[in-house]
Amino acid sequence: MTLASKTIDIKQRLLIKNDEAAELNRNAFQAQQVLAINLIAAPGAGKTSFINETIKGLKTKANVAVIEGDIAGSIDTEKVLAAGASDAVQINTSGKCHLEANMLSVSLEQLDLNNADFVLIENVGNLICPTSWDLGEQLKVCLVSAAEGDDKPVKYPEVFAKSDVIILNKIDLIPFVEFNKSFFYKTLKALNPTAPMFEVSCRTHEGVEAWLSYLQQTHSSQFQEHDLRV
Amino acid sequence: MHEYAIAQHLVNLVETQAKMAKAKRVLAVDISLGEQSHVHSESLSLYFDMLTDAEKSPASGAELRVKRTPMWFYCPTCKLEYTVKTNDFCCPDCSELGQLIDAGDELSLQSIEVKV
Repeated sequence: MTLASKTIDIKQRLLIKNDEAAELNRNAFQAQQVLAINLIAAPGAGKTSFINETIKGLKTKANVAVIEGDIAGSIDTEKVLAAGASDAVQINTSGKCHLEANMLSVSLEQLDLNNADFVLIENVGNLICPTSWDLGEQLKVCLVSAAEGDDKPVKYPEVFAKSDVIILNKIDLIPFVEFNKSFFYKTLKALNPTAPMFEVSCRTHEGVEAWLSYLQQTHSSQFQEHDLRV
Repeated sequence: MHEYAIAQHLVNLVETQAKMAKAKRVLAVDISLGEQSHVHSESLSLYFDMLTDAEKSPASGAELRVKRTPMWFYCPTCKLEYTVKTNDFCCPDCSELGQLIDAGDELSLQSIEVKV
């Protein structure tokens, strides 16, 4: 180091601006008594089917709005509105592999939060990048399907370690795809011993009811004295 | 994969800090990247260079120094902290399953070296 140079200690998260924007989103959700769920999964894991199951299952009990993050297009938005979502907004990330908090802030201006109990945020299909970006959700949910293999916690530990809830989808396929459940659970427990875990099949509807009950319980414990809007 | 977006945040942070310190130039940038953050150092460096224009940015030409931090587990039986060597997160000594103590997902700016 020369005399004219000096070192400045900073020790700050690189994504601090994202974290700040996420905090504003979180405040907006809390103020409106909306439980926001950031759904992270690989392409083809069944995110949209899972969202549709959730909307249909809660239809008579709660209003579910959806934010669809996708590289391009609006097919998923149409599907969730047809399933009965109270409102839906599409975020096209123009090629970006994940949603960021400020993209969500913009979409929240268009979404009818006032009339929603839950907001399901479908992140871009990817088990890696979305994990680093806090959106301001109260629940980070990782959805993985049996067809993807039992090694997903070993290959993508961060998303399993950081999620609040883990969903194993397509359990009806387990007999056909050599999915070793004990290996899956063993590695998952090492990464995240406390996260609630649900096994579901969106095709047979098995296990979906337990997930729906969990969502409603979480909503009522998060926002005491508040009735669902339906 | 998401290095471009992270580089944008990094450049903004570095330029803000350099301005606050009234620095003429940023000589080096020290960052910590967790091994599980899936951020590729060379790719991040490339984007950092692209985003720091020689005419406009005091951070242009700064050396990006990257420290990689691993994922850590703890074995309650051996009372040992370990990084993963096997593909099932087990303790290298007793082969029992450990507990995660650090997810190895750090993404932080540690310090910058500047010319004042």
